[in-house]
Amino acid sequence: MSQGRHHKPKNLLMILMLSPYLLLLFFFGILPLIMAVINVPTKSLSNPTGGWKVFKIVFHDFRIVSAGEHVLGFMAIFVPLMIFFVVAMSLMLDMNAAPWKKWVRLAYIVPACVSGSVAVLIWYVLLEPTLSPFKGVMHLLGITQASQIWKTSNLTFILAFMAFFALAGQWILIQFGSLQSISTEILEAARVDGCSQYQLATKIKLPLIRKYVIYMGVLVFAGGLQIFVEPQLLNSSIYHGIAQTWSFDQLSYSLAFDQGNFGEASALSLMLLVPSLIGALFVIFKTDMFEDVALKSPKQLRKEAQEREAIAQ
Amino acid sequence: MKRKHSLLVVATASLLGASLVTPVVAQAAIPSITIWVDSPRLPGAQAYAKIMKGKVNVNVQLHAQGDLVAKVQLFNTVKKGWPDVVFGPPNDVAFLKNPLVNDVLQLDNLQPASVWKQFGNGNNWCVLDGHIYCVKNDLAQTVLWYNKTLMTQFGYKVPTTMDQFASIGADLAKNHPGYSLGALGDQGAASGYLWPSQCPLNVAKSDTVVVINSKSPKCTRVAALTQPMIDSGVLDVRSPFDAGYIKDVGQADKWLMQIGPSWWGQFVLRPASSYNVPAGQVATAPMPVWAGETKGYSGEYGGGIYTISPHSKFPKAALAFAMFMVGDARNLVTLVNPDGSHGAPTYPAFGPGNKLWTKAVAKDPYYAQNIVPALDKQAQLIWSGTKPVRYDANGAWGASFDTDLATSKNMQHAIDAYAAYTSNLAQQLGYAVVSK
Repeated sequence: MSQGRHHKPKNLLMILMLSPYLLLLFFFGILPLIMAVINVPTKSLSNPTGGWKVFKIVFHDFRIVSAGEHVLGFMAIFVPLMIFFVVAMSLMLDMNAAPWKKWVRLAYIVPACVSGSVAVLIWYVLLEPTLSPFKGVMHLLGITQASQIWKTSNLTFILAFMAFFALAGQWILIQFGSLQSISTEILEAARVDGCSQYQLATKIKLPLIRKYVIYMGVLVFAGGLQIFVEPQLLNSSIYHGIAQTWSFDQLSYSLAFDQGNFGEASALSLMLLVPSLIGALFVIFKTDMFEDVALKSPKQLRKEAQEREAIAQ
Repeated sequence: MKRKHSLLVVATASLLGASLVTPVVAQAAIPSITIWVDSPRLPGAQAYAKIMKGKVNVNVQLHAQGDLVAKVQLFNTVKKGWPDVVFGPPNDVAFLKNPLVNDVLQLDNLQPASVWKQFGNGNNWCVLDGHIYCVKNDLAQTVLWYNKTLMTQFGYKVPTTMDQFASIGADLAKNHPGYSLGALGDQGAASGYLWPSQCPLNVAKSDTVVVINSKSPKCTRVAALTQPMIDSGVLDVRSPFDAGYIKDVGQADKWLMQIGPSWWGQFVLRPASSYNVPAGQVATAPMPVWAGETKGYSGEYGGGIYTISPHSKFPKAALAFAMFMVGDARNLVTLVNPDGSHGAPTYPAFGPGNKLWTKAVAKDPYYAQNIVPALDKQAQLIWSGTKPVRYDANGAWGASFDTDLATSKNMQHAIDAYAAYTSNLAQQLGYAVVSK
């Protein structure tokens, strides 16, 4: 009882600090989720009597298998490429303090300034054999028609590279930041013990930023699963039909806004939430990313100081 | 002479305009309507708002085509927000008529039958189970577009049958390689070949039954006729809008013929950034007839519609706007568009409006000869078996047919892919798919 009273002002402050986030979470996270759940059993032309069997109907949609193939294929390229390349690049960037390092860092952020929607246009021009600045090379390879490159079966690769170039720079800077947080004492100690630059990177630095790498992996995975803008733009304004319902999110969008079927769209969205949720739970419970660092109270610190003094005497 | 002519047009225009808008004034309070149009229709709608000032409050909003289909369910959920009258793609009417959506008003009694009659066959698309559900803005009937200069140079006669078309194709491949009879890799293959051949795809028998049968002889004959031309490259598997096709064929003066919609000349053949066919070369002819048929039917590539919401408080004012767009010279002829051109961009579906519009086009010096007679003939010959359907039948060409044709280069295979795709879509939207 007395303990509860003791914690009260602290909790109030905590809630006050959290409240902007909680409000946003409620209005743009929880509320849409509730709405989606309410929408699921509504009547539609594919589910004329309404009800929860809509999950089954979505699962048997004739487009879901190809969407799954596309998205999983995309992620099989995109996620490992991101993790490997980003870690390697940031470790190399961290290697020595060359005077031009800050310019290199700037160079990484430039491609990251190109958002997904703009990237679609850039890649269209780069890979269209009549417009491309590399058309000479393309013609040498026998590529003279857009259809040789821009076909649905190639999109897995094209979109993976598109997403990679748009996101890699950002993550290199973030991981570079996490490398900077490693204490110089540890690094100096390793050097004194005769660690080579390569050993330093793989044996010392990499294990120390491991949790940040896992965190990145989960975020990249969740982002990849929800790919939407790039294929949708490509499909609607460049090559009509090339990426029709190519990804899960596009299928959900098409169900809602081309077919007016909010039930199925909500059901699919809820199904897509599951893997992302599992990823988030993994980060929280299986990495020490969000571990509580117990702060010592001033009283305890004083006590410890007294103890040290006592030992010294 | 020219000035005199335009004065005359203005005079007729104001007369006609007046006759169309007077019924609106009779309504008691000042009606207020919300209009959704796409950008080509925007100048006309804004002109209408100005004309009606004080009589009808017209709120014009710019929306992409198809926006209503995307948003109507949201309006239905909150039970408000429906625009009164909307310009949209042709299939919208079937989607909106669906009882779960229910956002299209039956228009039969909103204006005299005599006015509806003036559409001729022009509004057939909008007639579903005997009632009128929309106003057709323009017709996109296919005709045979050809380069008269090149045809004469090569010594070809303008084909009147599809077999003649095919034999020109065979000769062209042999004697003039590199020249093209058009590209098939988009919706145009359907409107130019499959629909005119009466191939049963999207043939809705009712609100619940649709015929989709790519194995019908009316479909297989299209594949049989076009395949040799696809193999020889005379018919291209790329889209006619593909940057490479435009460069290799259009801009290289290698374009000989194409079965294309009424807007093909103005929007594809003419612009410098597109095929850029020089002035004085382009002509039109009626559709070549398929073997064993008596009539050369057309298909349609586009041709938008106006739908009116049953939630509208002023349906007559809403209809008056649609009729202004299709029948009034102030929109069809004299309107100044942002690009400097005059009048409505495409072939009006409404008889009297059409006459006003074609008068100007008939004299267009860009064409080698008057293109209007062929357009007029085919306007009455759009095969009526193909119907509005609730699923996105036009988007499905891109999603299945085009992508399949580009890789398989096999016409029948691509038609089958389309049929399979739309059969699935149709069933999802509550149709039973039958083969006959």
